[in-house]
Amino acid sequence: MSESAIITTNNVNLWYNGKRALESVSMKIPKNKVTALIGPSGCGKSTLLRCFNRLNDLIDHVKITGEITLDEKNIQEPGTDVVMLRKKVGMVFQKPNPFPKSIHENVAYGPRVHGVKDKAELDRIVELSLHHAALWDEVKDRLNDSALGLSGGQQQRLCIARTLAVEPEVILMDEPCSALDPIATAKIENLIDLLKKDYTVIIVTHNMQQAARMSDYTGFMYLGKLIECGKTNQIFEHPKEDLTENYITGRFG
Amino acid sequence: MAEKFHTELNNLKTETLEMAHLGRFMLRTAIDALIRQDNDLAESVVTRKEEIHTMEVRLEERCYQLIAMNQPMAKDMRVIACTLKVITASLRIGRYGKVIANIVKKISDQPHIANLMSIPHMADLAIEMIDDSIEAYEKDSIEAISDFSVRDDTIDSLRQSIFREGITYMMEDPKSITRCTNYILVARYLERCADHACKIAENVHYMNTGERIEIH
Repeated sequence: MSESAIITTNNVNLWYNGKRALESVSMKIPKNKVTALIGPSGCGKSTLLRCFNRLNDLIDHVKITGEITLDEKNIQEPGTDVVMLRKKVGMVFQKPNPFPKSIHENVAYGPRVHGVKDKAELDRIVELSLHHAALWDEVKDRLNDSALGLSGGQQQRLCIARTLAVEPEVILMDEPCSALDPIATAKIENLIDLLKKDYTVIIVTHNMQQAARMSDYTGFMYLGKLIECGKTNQIFEHPKEDLTENYITGRFG
Repeated sequence: MAEKFHTELNNLKTETLEMAHLGRFMLRTAIDALIRQDNDLAESVVTRKEEIHTMEVRLEERCYQLIAMNQPMAKDMRVIACTLKVITASLRIGRYGKVIANIVKKISDQPHIANLMSIPHMADLAIEMIDDSIEAYEKDSIEAISDFSVRDDTIDSLRQSIFREGITYMMEDPKSITRCTNYILVARYLERCADHACKIAENVHYMNTGERIEIH
């Protein structure tokens, strides 16, 4: 990869209760690009994603070895400020999970936690984030309504706006469209394409067509190993590894 | 679903091979008709025109359906891309066979000049290239097409040789102009058929390796 890397993993291994879930994963995530992680269920792609903002720390009996750097700083070091790390590396989950609060409050919550008190400034951040998440036009007249009243696709874009509000560098997305219909999925995909101008996006998806459509780079994982990683057009047109070929042509998985 | 798709892909390949063999057969038969000055044999080629055209339409449609319904990737995608090229090349080869058969019907009433010059030899070489390209497609192998560049050069040389020889006979005897012009045209069509074999070979190489090559 010729682009500069924002995240680098070097020989990362991870065990849940002694069971190995990641094995010697070394890869580079290029800055301002969309990187997709694909592979069959249980191959470790979500586990790897959660390493990038240390979300696995929240799980008991997890052991991680190896090095993961963000902006060339090892995020595995004991002194790492995990709250700041998660501000820099935001996450959007499979199912939209808005807070049971107003639309405005969902987006303003993060900046407020990080010290923004001025109402005008919060309003500015909310509007900007909703614009970036391509949701502003749909909700600008009902910012004080409950976020739970939005459709699934709108809720997911609200979650993206909530992530953007704290100005992350990297956005992790774990199957962000799997609970959405095709139209809502298309909106999220268009949004991700726009977001890469300002952010680095790492997306886990089961949908290979989606990975092919959206990403610049693709990593194929199998049984905890990163089998192959490269430019998306190369991976989907002529993968180097037979295992990748067999997976993406539907011969297993 | 993947199993069903791969079965359909195999069936597509089998039927495309049938079309490729028909195209090759039309060319071979037209050349045989030319050599033997056999109008009936030439007519038998012309009558296959509709058949090969129908195959082209049906098989292309199948390719588009497989793409639309299955969004194939990696080698599956490359097989369909290659198959589309084989379909087009086979149609063209078959149509050149038909065009040569029509020439036979026009010039079969007079004896050959210079025993058809190098046309029979050139036809053998071109048809061997077609055979090898079809076999490479069938067997997923690039072994038989590795020397296509050299063989294509030989075909080009033969076409030029037939052109020069034809011009010589025409200058010697203006009554031979019609026949020699047709020989030159046949040589040109054979060269184009060999080019289509090269196109198939390039695409079989892409199908098997994912790398693009150009055979000059």
